[in-house]
Amino acid sequence: MKRHVVILATLLVAQGASAQTRTGGGATTNTPQVKVSATAGADLKSGDTTKIKAALDEIRMAGKGTGTPFAPQIVELLQKGVTVQLAEAAIDTLGDLESESSSPAIAEYMQHRSPRVRQAAAKALVKTKGQAAVKALVKGLSDQDGMVRGVSANGLGQLKAKPAVNDLFLALDHRVTEAGISIGMICGAQECEQLATRIGKFPLDVIAGGLEQALFRADIADDTKIKLIGRVRELGTKEANGALKEWFKKWPATGSARVKQALDQAVQATGGGS
Amino acid sequence: MKKLFLVALVASFSWACGGGQTHPNMFATDWEDDGGKSISAVLARIGATKPPAGADVAVGVAGNSDKVVGVPLAGGNPWTFAHGVDVRPTIAGSVVVAEGGGELFALDAASGKKLWARQVGPQTMRGAGDDGKITVVSLDSGGRGSVLLAIDREGNVARQIETDKALGVPAILGGFAFVPWSNQYVSVVDLTNGEEAGRVLLRGKVSHAFAASGSLFFGENEIFRFDDKIKNASRNQATRLALPQRELPGTPSLMAPGEDKLGPVAMALDKTRMYAHPNGADPIGFDASRFYGTYFRMAMAFDSGTTKLAWVYNSPVDIVGGAAGPSTFALCDESGKVVVLDAATGGVERELSLGGPIKSCTVQDDGLAASTPQPPPPLSQQISAALLNRDSEMVTGQRLLLRELATLEDETVTKTLVELASNPLTAPLLIADSRTALAARRTGANHMLAALAKHYDFLHDVLLSPPVGPMAQALAAMKEKSAAPLLASHLLDPADTDEDVKQAAAALVDLGGPAELPALKQFFKLYRAYPDSEGVAAAVVSSGQALLAFGGPEGRKIVDAAITDPLTVDALKSRLKAVEEQADAQKTQKK
Repeated sequence: MKRHVVILATLLVAQGASAQTRTGGGATTNTPQVKVSATAGADLKSGDTTKIKAALDEIRMAGKGTGTPFAPQIVELLQKGVTVQLAEAAIDTLGDLESESSSPAIAEYMQHRSPRVRQAAAKALVKTKGQAAVKALVKGLSDQDGMVRGVSANGLGQLKAKPAVNDLFLALDHRVTEAGISIGMICGAQECEQLATRIGKFPLDVIAGGLEQALFRADIADDTKIKLIGRVRELGTKEANGALKEWFKKWPATGSARVKQALDQAVQATGGGS
Repeated sequence: MKKLFLVALVASFSWACGGGQTHPNMFATDWEDDGGKSISAVLARIGATKPPAGADVAVGVAGNSDKVVGVPLAGGNPWTFAHGVDVRPTIAGSVVVAEGGGELFALDAASGKKLWARQVGPQTMRGAGDDGKITVVSLDSGGRGSVLLAIDREGNVARQIETDKALGVPAILGGFAFVPWSNQYVSVVDLTNGEEAGRVLLRGKVSHAFAASGSLFFGENEIFRFDDKIKNASRNQATRLALPQRELPGTPSLMAPGEDKLGPVAMALDKTRMYAHPNGADPIGFDASRFYGTYFRMAMAFDSGTTKLAWVYNSPVDIVGGAAGPSTFALCDESGKVVVLDAATGGVERELSLGGPIKSCTVQDDGLAASTPQPPPPLSQQISAALLNRDSEMVTGQRLLLRELATLEDETVTKTLVELASNPLTAPLLIADSRTALAARRTGANHMLAALAKHYDFLHDVLLSPPVGPMAQALAAMKEKSAAPLLASHLLDPADTDEDVKQAAAALVDLGGPAELPALKQFFKLYRAYPDSEGVAAAVVSSGQALLAFGGPEGRKIVDAAITDPLTVDALKSRLKAVEEQADAQKTQKK
């Protein structure tokens, strides 16, 4: 009983701390040190589902830093095999600990028969990163479950997995719309233009999301960006005008004047779009 | 008194002004069986006269049911005759008889040339017979009984008989009209005097009289020959020929009831028919030892002795008519294509055209000489082609063919079964049948191995996993060790069904080796704590069995640990213990 009170208190602190420190992108900064109970390690090995779950919760709330030393034990737990509920909790925890060394163990769960476990694994891999994560996420693009495909596509963009760009195009062409933004995050000049050729084949927001990523990347040449703007401008619709206006507004003051001018002209040209 | 009229008419007969004299005994139902006396007398009077061979021709209704088209089966120019068609044409000997716009008309079957036409008003033709000089036609009098007409080549009505009975399809031989009625009688009308010269009572449903192979036959679903045994018909001792009992899709019939009007447009029943050509010899039998069944886009030939499937013909569009001949089987499809097939092999002898799409088709094949057919593909390929047709209408027929296919040992059969079971477009019933058949295969392992190399793959449009379970069963039975790594990879494929995973794991107990241990270990660990179905639970037990069999001390350790781990599901622990005990006992025995 006493132990449960301690855990509850720890959780409340951790939740409060979490709310204060999460950023929009999901990354944490200056996470306060939340202590993990001394028995957590033993609990993970106890074989008792309640104790294991409680320990995982504690570690998760403690987050990266305090919780990181427990990552190998959680990996071991996953490798031994646990219930679906514990697998989800363990994977979520490892994801929050962001330990790349746990990626291979999580990747194995991308083959689990439960779609929920696979979804959790895909989400966690985006955080734990590494080659094992990329490889598993590429495979996840072909998963039977739509959410696994979507998370995988999204994750490959976040992981800047450039070698996966062709797989992402294939995914996009199979209506995995999350692939659009990811392509925009990692495409080279030619690939970005290739993405723009999908305008008209997909709803504009799917492609525009990807083009926006490319447009605001420093490593993409102005000429390419102007071409991408031109593609959207050619569409001439109200939606195209809306996207162009949005980009124009967001364009940084220190950004390329040529690109800004192209955006401005495109906004004006599409102003009468239907 | 029964309503009956018998009238001899002149050429100026018109349906509206028909009348006649009564004949109290014609088609009387108080007739007493004469023990074959009257029919024997008819037979004696006919003597050696035989029906002439009928024209071998296909006749269709085309356009907006406003033209009749025909083509001789031996080849030759197709013909067209413009006329509205309300009742499907029938081929009687060398004449085509049809009806449209209240007019009954006859054409020369070979050329399409009009022979005669007569107004019949609302009466509708049921069928016709012809002996080369006179055509007998039975017509429905619009619910008021029937009319039988005997018409010569000039269109003169030589005899008209009206009755309140429903008459079937008549035939004519030696100046006598043979008229089936009441599903059991055939009355023989002497056309010279209009008298009922004889009658026979048949112990089987009879609504058609027809000529074939130089003999006269009566029947509907079975056939009785008009020969010297006909006198014993009422004692069920006539020369009789029935189609062998055989499962066929759509429960097709040999002939539609003779009293039915056949419209100009083919219906589903016209596409699911049986065909056979009786011989005139002794013992009676079906020519070429064949009977045939059609089912929409396929035609099947069966051995009339064994009922075994002989061949399958696949048509790109629905087959709407056909006829069995002495050595050929002729079919027409709704595109207007007419195909003459070799009865023995199913090879195409000839392809003809009715000139375009047709609404319905009638074929007569009474003496068409066989020619050299194109060699057909092996039976397994014929069946495979029929099975790979994705038309959902075909499923019932395809299920039958699939059972036939499964009896063949040909390796390509396995390939077809794998393709059917792996294709999401295959009808679910066929997938289930294919899986069952695959599990029992003992040939074609290479096709199974190739299929096992595939996995569900959304991006590459593989949207249905291969039939892993049945192939695992078959490959284990064939002791095909090379299947082991492929089966192991399927253990870890979440797209595979629980049943497939169960069978893959079971097969790995026999086929697996050290190379499969990583996959077996991973599967065992992933699910020992949460097997969410009996299939997965059984697969965990089989994986444990495999670990014990060839996993060495580490395998034993993993299973032992699982048995003692509180996270392992209790029900699995007991099953794993049993497997361990069994493995220990086997080791002891070996020592």
